[in-house]
Amino acid sequence: MPTWDDRQPIYRQLADRLSGALLDGEPPEGEPMPSVRALAAQYMLNPLTVGRALQALADDGLLDNRRGLGLFVRQGARERLLALERQRFLEQEWPMLRTKLRRLGLQMDELTWEA
Amino acid sequence: MTTQDTLIHAEGLSLHYGKKLALDQLNFSIAKGRVVGLLGHNGAGKTSLMKAMVGLHDHEGRLDVLGLQPQRDRVKLLNEVTYIPDVAILPRWATVEQLIELMTGLHLKFSAERARTLLKRTSVKTTDKIKTLSRGMVVQTHLALIAAVDARLMILDEPTLGLDVLSRKAFYEMLIDEWCDGERSVLISTHQVEEIEGLLSDVMMLNEGKLVLDIPLDQIDDRFVALKHDPQAAEAIAAAHPILRYRQQGESAALFDGAPPAHVASLGQRMRPSLVDLFVALTRAPEINPQR
Repeated sequence: MPTWDDRQPIYRQLADRLSGALLDGEPPEGEPMPSVRALAAQYMLNPLTVGRALQALADDGLLDNRRGLGLFVRQGARERLLALERQRFLEQEWPMLRTKLRRLGLQMDELTWEA
Repeated sequence: MTTQDTLIHAEGLSLHYGKKLALDQLNFSIAKGRVVGLLGHNGAGKTSLMKAMVGLHDHEGRLDVLGLQPQRDRVKLLNEVTYIPDVAILPRWATVEQLIELMTGLHLKFSAERARTLLKRTSVKTTDKIKTLSRGMVVQTHLALIAAVDARLMILDEPTLGLDVLSRKAFYEMLIDEWCDGERSVLISTHQVEEIEGLLSDVMMLNEGKLVLDIPLDQIDDRFVALKHDPQAAEAIAAAHPILRYRQQGESAALFDGAPPAHVASLGQRMRPSLVDLFVALTRAPEINPQR
């Protein structure tokens, strides 16, 4: 059974996982999201929690709600998601990383870009 | 006030076994479309509460189930509520098909076709005799049979007791797929607090007959604050009266009911309060951890 960490509410963690999938093109833009029921069964969660996660994605402008048809991945969702993730990295993760680099005394030219 | 959306309503609900007080002035409501976890140590009153709900035990105070009074309207109620008691036994001599016939005769709202469809999700065949089935398969069969009753309320008393992980997983999947349609509700008591957390929409915790917590899961983060902190902050944290201090993955942690003062909150890193931690905090056996 999928496990959930102690850092964020479960619906938020699910929203992050679904966002990750969207970045990978799962589902592709313009295609329908899996149903609440399918996601609830897949992640073993209450449908209400799944609904909350999907609402969070919709609030971030990643999904369209087409009356009678359900939620679809909005055109441009990947770009939007990348922009949101970049912003989050630059505003939250990068300052923490930078502090650590300073603490360790690492210089920029010691960091290699190539894997 | 009972509306169509409220399936169970209790006010001042108490229950005695002879002189022993098993339930102490419970007040709560359960709405439709909810999956409610009933948590508590053995003897806390979970089974008593469920028995009262299905009319198997008398009570004091008010208890409405689907607008009916459980003891007085028990026959009518049993067509609207399905119940698996903690000592559920299916007749060992019967085949699954025979049980389907039995249920058809017993329950107005039982659908044999739905039962057969639900059983297809399992490895159980209708020709199987109950006595040849493993424990996990018996529970799955039982669940399939009662899920085939078009009831608005399902009451399950520790249905996964003694089941292995795979059987429990199959059980949860069936519950999500077949019962969570927004109209029906499930009340399920269990010891598998960590495992069931994701499935629940609400949690009720009983401690020695008292209802010590009754909250929708999405409100837990608003009310309770869990902080991970360095050992140096321990004294300051303790001074703010957390309801529980514990260790999480080697780090010190504290749980507060309501936000601690800002200067205390800044000493630690905020975490999601888990149901297990809440359970330990609110239902500690007095002789092990005296209440402060």
